[in-house]
Amino acid sequence: MKEFEPKIVAFLCNWCAYAGADLAGVSRLQYPPNIRTVRVMCSGRVDPLFVLQAFKQGCDGVLVAG
Amino acid sequence: MAGIGKQRLHLAWVSSAEAQRFVEVVTQTTDSVKAQGKFDPKAFAFELAAAELTLAEETLRWMVGKEVKITTKGDVFGRRWDRDTFESILDSLLERVYQKNLILQAVKEGHTSVRDIHKKIGLDLKRISYLLADMENRNIVEFAGMEESKPIFAAL
Repeated sequence: MKEFEPKIVAFLCNWCAYAGADLAGVSRLQYPPNIRTVRVMCSGRVDPLFVLQAFKQGCDGVLVAG
Repeated sequence: MAGIGKQRLHLAWVSSAEAQRFVEVVTQTTDSVKAQGKFDPKAFAFELAAAELTLAEETLRWMVGKEVKITTKGDVFGRRWDRDTFESILDSLLERVYQKNLILQAVKEGHTSVRDIHKKIGLDLKRISYLLADMENRNIVEFAGMEESKPIFAAL
């Protein structure tokens, strides 16, 4: 059987982690394809309810990066 | 608190210049979640519903929003709270609101007497009666009559 691939919702801050992710792409660094990115203007924008909603809709993990 | 497992939520700081760090964080998160296996929202539907109502609760959100003001400038009476006091009150409020929402979910699911609710959520009987009385005052549940000399409640 295929290995379990988790679905992870990643809330990335526009100015920090999102730019970091962009740079990772530009520099052709490899990273796992499991994350589904949601760009937020600031990680302070992330409401605990977003996290709960993500779990409710069946994702396996949540990453908040700022 | 809802037992969903805080290991599934990761928080990290990545600067815009740190592509390497971003790759590390994503790899670590993926490995950790992979090790924990699949998350089944249906198994936690009850807790998730209660947690969602709790996080959307008005008093709690006000309290979190006013944290800096209350601990630096003071509340409306001009009293400045120290951080420990604030945090312990916030914790007890959070616990209380979450317990109330668990009770509400239980009542909605048809566990209408105090003993039934206790069986469903495992909270002690006295606490359930106490919180139910409060919820009745706030028109969240209503007293729906007696059944075999036990009081029965209904969600509004």
